Amino acid sequence: MSLLEIRNLQLEFGIGPTALRAVNGVSLTLAAGETLCLVGESGCGKSVTALSIARLVPSPPARYVGGEILLNGKDVLRMNKADLRGIRGGVVSYVFQEPSASLNPVFRVGHQIREALKLHRPDRARAEEVVRLLKLVGIPAPELRMRDYPHQLSGGMQQRVMIAMALASEPKLLVADEPTTALDVTIQAQILDLLRDLRTRLRMSILLITHNLGIVGDLADRVAVMYAGQIVELSPATDLLQRPLHPYTLALMNSVPKLGAGAQRLTAIPGNVPSLEAMPPGCRFHPRCARARPECAREVPGLIEVEPGRWVRCPFWTQPLPARQEALG
Amino acid sequence: MSLLEVKNLKVHFPVKQGVFSRVHAHVKAVDEVTLSVGVAETVGLVGESGCGKTTLGRAIIRLVEPTAGRVLFEGEDLTQLRGSALRSRRRKFQMVFQDPYGSLNPRMTVGQIIAEALDIHRLVDGAPARQQRVAELLRAVGLDPGHAQRYPHEFSGGQRQRIGIARALAVEPRLIVCDEPVSALDVSVQAQIINLLQDLQEQRGIAYLFIAHDLAVVEHISRRVLVMYLGKLVETADARGIIHAPKHPYTQALISAVPVVDPASKRRRIVLPGDVPSPIDPPSGCPFHPRCPVAEARCRVEVPLLREVSPGHWAACHLA
Repeated sequence: MSLLEIRNLQLEFGIGPTALRAVNGVSLTLAAGETLCLVGESGCGKSVTALSIARLVPSPPARYVGGEILLNGKDVLRMNKADLRGIRGGVVSYVFQEPSASLNPVFRVGHQIREALKLHRPDRARAEEVVRLLKLVGIPAPELRMRDYPHQLSGGMQQRVMIAMALASEPKLLVADEPTTALDVTIQAQILDLLRDLRTRLRMSILLITHNLGIVGDLADRVAVMYAGQIVELSPATDLLQRPLHPYTLALMNSVPKLGAGAQRLTAIPGNVPSLEAMPPGCRFHPRCARARPECAREVPGLIEVEPGRWVRCPFWTQPLPARQEALG
Repeated sequence: MSLLEVKNLKVHFPVKQGVFSRVHAHVKAVDEVTLSVGVAETVGLVGESGCGKTTLGRAIIRLVEPTAGRVLFEGEDLTQLRGSALRSRRRKFQMVFQDPYGSLNPRMTVGQIIAEALDIHRLVDGAPARQQRVAELLRAVGLDPGHAQRYPHEFSGGQRQRIGIARALAVEPRLIVCDEPVSALDVSVQAQIINLLQDLQEQRGIAYLFIAHDLAVVEHISRRVLVMYLGKLVETADARGIIHAPKHPYTQALISAVPVVDPASKRRRIVLPGDVPSPIDPPSGCPFHPRCPVAEARCRVEVPLLREVSPGHWAACHLA
C-alpha cells in the first residue's frame, strides 16, 4: 500500500456559480521512501494540492467538492479535528518557501523546535534532542545556535532550522513547498544536498514542490507537471526530462535558458497562464499550444497511460511538434 | 570609446550606533569596481544576494550617491553633475526594476506612467502627439495600444514588466540598467521578456547592464559577464569563458551549484561551506578565502588584484 494516495481531488474556492475550481481532478500516489516533484507555474494549484494533504487550506473559503486523500489508508478529508492534529506535523510535516516568515521572531529557535517535540514526542522534548536535530541538518555549534533568535541566522540557516523542526516528529512524509526559491544558488545546493542525505538516512517520502526543472533532475524519482489545476504529465523523472511528452512540459523546458547553451533564441510560450475565472474550454493549454487542433477547444482530454508509468493529458502526444514556435506576447 | 566607463567606484554606507549615532563602521557595498559597457552591448552582472550588484547598478545612474570613483557616460563624469545638468543626462540612461508590482504607481493609468517621463523631458508637444507616442511605445513592447487607459492591477506580471520597459524606452535611452527584470516572473513568461529585450536592443541599439542571480539567464543574454562577491569584482570575461572555463574558485562553485535539467550530465558539484560573510567586517586578504576549497596561507593575508589571466579574461585570485 502506498503511503499517500490522492484520488480525483476537487477543490473550489467560493460557492455557487462564481466558485473557482483551483484543483480539478488531481490523482497521484506516493510510495514510502519515494520522492515526487510537483512542478508548475504560479497559480497552477500545486501548493493547494500539497496543503490539502494535511487539510491546511482554510475552509471556508475552500471547499472540497470531491475526491479523497488517503494517508496510510485513512481519508484525510473525513477526519475529525483530533485525528487531523495527530497527522499535522506528525505523519506529514511541511517546509515552506520563506523561512524568515515561517519562524516566530520572538522565540529562540531551540524553543520553537522543542515546541514541535512537546507536541509529538513529549518524552524526548529536551535540549539534547534539539541539539541532535540541529546537528542532523548540519548546523555548526548547535548548542550555541539553539539560543539564537531567527533574525540572527542567515536564510540558509533558517531553512535548516525549519527542516529540523519538520523532522522533530519523525514524519513519514515531508512536504517541501519551494524550499530553496528564496535562497541563493550556493545555499540552494547545500539544502538540496541535505534533503537528499536525509531521505536516505531517515527513509522518508518527500513531496517537493518547485517550478525549477533543474531541481527535478537532482532529486526526484517521479514528476507530476501541473497546469491550471490539472496534472498534465506524470512520469518517472529521468524519462520526463529526456523525452517530455506533453506539449506544455516540452514548452516549459524549451523556455528556460540552459547553462552553457550560449545565446540561441529562447522559444517562449505565447500568452499567459489562464486565470481561474477565465479557463479556456476543452484542453486548458490549447490557446498556448503549438500542437493545438480545432478539437482541442471542444473536448477535455483525459490523463492516459501511454507507456508503463507514463501518463499524459494530450491525445496527440505522438504527433511531432512544429519545429519552432514564436512568442506572440 | 565605450558608452559607459566606471572607474574604481566605491559605495560605502555608514553604520551608526548609540545615542549620538556615531559612525562606527562602514558597509563596503561596492568596493573599487571598474567596468565598461560598449554601445549596444549587454554586460551581465551576477552574484548572490548582498554582494552589492544592485547597489552598483543604482550608483552608476546615481540613484545612490557613490563614495568615490568616476562614472563616465559618453565621456562625461556623472558623479560631478548636479541638479538640472544631471536631470537632463538622465534621459540617456534608464532602469527596469525587479518587482513589476512595486515599481508601477497603482493610481496612475499605464498611459500616464509612460507619458510622465515624456513630460518631464518635454519630448512631445500637445495631447495628440503624446497619445500617439504612448501607443507607439506600447506596441513596441507587445501590448495593445488601447490599454493605455487601464491601471497596473489589470495586468499580469509579465505585462507589467512590459509596461516598465515601455516607460524606460519613452525617453530613448542609450543604456538601460535591468535589475533582475525576470526573476519575479513565471518561467514561461521569462522567455518572452528576455526575447523582447533582445529584439529592442537589435532595433534601437540600446546597451544593457543586466543584473541577475540566474547564471543561465545572464549567459544567454550577455556578451560579457562580471561576477561579484562581497562588493568586489572577482572575475570578468566573455560569457563563454565564464561558463566553460571559469578561473575563480567562486565562479566555479557558482556554476556547479546550478541544478541542471539533463539527468545524463553527471557534473561534479562543488558545495561551498557556510554563508556569504558580512560586508561590514569582510575577511582579511581574499574575501572569499574562508569558503574557498583551494585557499592557501597567502590568501588569508594578501588581497588578490584583478589581473588578466588569459586574453580578455580577468580574475582576482592568486591561484588562477
